[in-house]
This record gives sequence, structure tokens and C-alpha cells, in this order.
Amino acid sequence: MCGIAGVVFKDKKLHPVGKIMTRMLDALQHRGPDSAGFSIYGGLGLQDHEYLLNIEVKEKSGLLEQVKKTVNAVTPIEKEEIVPSVENYNIYKCKIALTSFEELKPLIMDIDKLEDVVVLNGSHSFEMIKDVGSVKEIADRYDTYSKMGTHAIGHTRFSTESIVDRYHAHPFQSYIIPDITVVHNGQITNYWKIRGPLERYGHIFETNNDTECIVHYIADKLYKGYKLEEALEQSIKDMDGPFSYIVGTPNGVGIAKDQLGLRPGVLAENDEVFAIASEEVSLRAVMETDEIDQISPGESRAYTI
Amino acid sequence: MREIEIDANSMVPRDLNRAVKQAARKYDRIVIKNPNAMHYMVAGLTDDVEIVIDGSAGYFAGTMIDGAKIRITGNAGWFPADNMTDGEVMIDGAAGDGVGQGIYGGTVVVRKNAGSRTGEIMKNGTIIIGGNSGFMSGLFMMGGRIIVLGDVSDDAGESIIRGAMYVLGDIKSLGKNAKIEEIDDESKNELKELLPVYGFELEEDKYDKFKKIVPRSKRPFYGGKESEEG
Repeated sequence: MCGIAGVVFKDKKLHPVGKIMTRMLDALQHRGPDSAGFSIYGGLGLQDHEYLLNIEVKEKSGLLEQVKKTVNAVTPIEKEEIVPSVENYNIYKCKIALTSFEELKPLIMDIDKLEDVVVLNGSHSFEMIKDVGSVKEIADRYDTYSKMGTHAIGHTRFSTESIVDRYHAHPFQSYIIPDITVVHNGQITNYWKIRGPLERYGHIFETNNDTECIVHYIADKLYKGYKLEEALEQSIKDMDGPFSYIVGTPNGVGIAKDQLGLRPGVLAENDEVFAIASEEVSLRAVMETDEIDQISPGESRAYTI
Repeated sequence: MREIEIDANSMVPRDLNRAVKQAARKYDRIVIKNPNAMHYMVAGLTDDVEIVIDGSAGYFAGTMIDGAKIRITGNAGWFPADNMTDGEVMIDGAAGDGVGQGIYGGTVVVRKNAGSRTGEIMKNGTIIIGGNSGFMSGLFMMGGRIIVLGDVSDDAGESIIRGAMYVLGDIKSLGKNAKIEEIDDESKNELKELLPVYGFELEEDKYDKFKKIVPRSKRPFYGGKESEEG
């Protein structure tokens, strides 16, 4: 089933969006018990060319040192943090500097070559937090309550098509352009038809998960000059199946819903906040309003700051 | 009148519905406080009792009720009144997709807009939408009536077999097997009697402006070929 949510503060200032998104996702916990995830934008405060790597490392003698050695061989680690996760895994987060964004994906692929190590993501303008378990467990584990930002997207996962693990938790990220993430409720039934052309452009797929396909599709469109609204509209024409998905970009969020409207999406907005979610109960975690818009079949909505 | 309040805060749907069913044996009116858009509220209640959901409801509010009168003071999610056999579900706000899905009887009223597929596979009963109704309203409708005081979106009356839709606003497009016919005096009088009962007071000339959507054929047809039984 899955639950999706997105929120933007229109004043572009920092707000406790980690805490707010935690509440939004907790309200959607019943839609997906397997895993949950956040993309919290605008609060990292990194300098130009600085990036945050978010790496899953098994508790194994010497493995973390190998990860650090791999990173340091490319660029010195500036700052680091270890968050203990479950099933003998730790999440290693480190800040690095690269000459250009194009160096990020090759570095991630280098680190991924280490056994029992998976790079969950690498980002500049947002922090991704995703793990297996309930929203509250993950929120406590990573202290999402303290995360500040301008906007965020999030997900509770009811797995259908791929395995339950930390990497397959949403959001998924593309590296075609910086910092594009997607959370998704549904299935893309013409998955291979969408994936094929993207691979022929040279875009790298790490999984067979259809949400990864969506994020590469959107990033590819944005790379080609589409506005977010245009990319969302085009995706509705190009993609088959029941879906409702939310995109996060460095400047905002957007939602798209399939042409038959087979997955839910609701929206509430006031002068301060733009919020979208699978259900009204999630919107009520952000604002008190009786004015709830249903996203119509084949409709997309976006807000950029 | 014997009345009781039930605070739904921190309850799960199963607990709430159990409490409602127990209260319905002793009380005439049950007010559910802090519903917080919970799903499945008042599912399967067969007592003839008045229920007020003081806020918004989630999915399947009042599903399979038989005789209860439910008022939702906020909005409702998908499938309010799904498969009800008798009673009333009144929604003061807006509603999601599938309002009155598959109902066999009773009345569903949404004061504001409704989502897609309003009244899909309904067999009988009445659905009134005060605002607009979305894509494929009346999908595979098999009986009863849907009244929309605003506009209806694409494919209105898709594969409708029996029953009728009355639309005061614009009809974006008709679905397969649907056609528009002139509203006759009998239908107008039916609406004039019905709508004020639920607080919709229309000017006299508005009743002439309703469009009536009915089936073209008694059997669904696929592709371009109509049923020979038409």
C-alpha cells in the first residue's frame, strides 16, 4: 500500500521539518510497516562541492577502516558520525569535498564494491534517512526530530516488488543531476519500457525497483530542461500502472498520480505551508484545515521555493 | 434521547467499532470525538442509531451499515458508505474516491466535492454531491440515483447499466454506454422533493437545468459494438 508525504515551507526559512515529517509519516504508519524514509532538504549547510555520504556498513573487524580508506583515497574525510542500526549494521555518515558533482557517483560505486557495504546515498542539499522498522523506531534511531530544513518528503513502505532492506527503503535517489529523490506508492507496469531508454542514455540502475526507475526518469527530464511541473505531467503520459509518487528537489516538491487515479493523494495549502500526502490524517500533522484537495486522476501538483 | 460520547483518541478502529456497537444497544445518539481521520469507523453497524463523527473520517467510513444515520462534520477519505444497505451518511466537507461504492440502499450526501468513481457499482439508493464529482462518476452503476450539483469530470456514467445521474453543472465527457436525455417533469419533481430534505435549496429554474445521464443499453458493451439486447 505505502504511504507518501511531502511538505514545503514557503518562506524558504529553516523549520523543524524532520519533526513534522516524522509526525506525517507516523500518521501513515498503517500504510506500510516494512521500512520508512526521509529526504530532509535545506538544513545541511554544506559549502559548495561538499557532500554527505550515507553508508551502511556491517559490524565486521576492519571493514569501517576499509570504507574510510576508500573515501580518503579520493578525498579526505572532513567530518564523520556513526549511527548504530539493527542486524549488526552501522550507518556511517561522513562529510567530504569533491571537485565536481560528477565525481560523486563513481566514488559511491567504488565504495559499493566493498563486501557488506552499501552506500545509501550521497547528497549536497538534503539528508536522507531511511531504514527498516517503524517510523518511531527510525525517528528515535536517527533523531529526525532535531532535523531542520525548508522542505521534506517521506515514505512508509509496504513492500511488493523488491526485498525489504535499508537500500530498498524509499526515498530513492538519482545522480543524473544533484539531489533528486522520489517516494512512491504503486507499481509502474511498463517498467522496462521506461527503463530501456534511460539505460541507453547511460543512466545506471542499481535495482529492479520501479521507484528507482521513476527517480531516474524525473532526473533525466530535469537534466533535459523540463521544469518539475512539466516532468511530472510527462511522466503521467509515459508511465502505466497505478501510482502516486512525490518528488523532492533542492527547490521544492511535486506529486503525480496515474491517469485512472488508482492510488491516493491529497493536498492542503495555506500562506505558510504546501503539504501533500496519501491521506488527510497525515496533512493534519502539519496544519489544521478543513480544506483538503483530492489530487485527481492524471493530475500533478508542485511547489517550488 | 440517550446520548454518549466516545473519545477515539488513541483507539484503533477495531476497539472503536466495538465500543460503538456496544453503545448502540443502549444509546440513541453516539458522538465520536477526536476521530483524526481514522479508517473503517462505524463499519458494519446494523443498529438504527444516530452517529456523529466529530471531525474527519478516513477510508470506508460507515461501510456496510444498515440503518444508522451517520454525520461526519469534517471530510471523508475513500469509499464512505461503501456497500451500505440502509441508513444515511452525511459528510459536511469533501470526500475522496468511491463515495457510496456498491450501495444497495440509503442515502449518502457530500456537501463539498467528491473524488473519482462516485457511486461505482451502486445497485440502489441515493448519492448527492453538493460540489463537483470526479472521473468516472457512476462507473458501472446498476441502479439508484446520483445527483451532482456541480460539475462532473471525464467519462461520466462509464458503463452504466441502470439508474440515473442528474448533473446541474457541466459534464466534461460521457463514458461508454452513457447518454444524456431531457429531464422530464417526474424527475424534476423527484429532485424538488429530495434536495430540500438534505438542505439543498435551489431556485426553481435550476431544476430545468439538470442533465440526466442514463444507459444507452441494458447491457454493457465493449469496443464500438453495442449489445444486441440493447
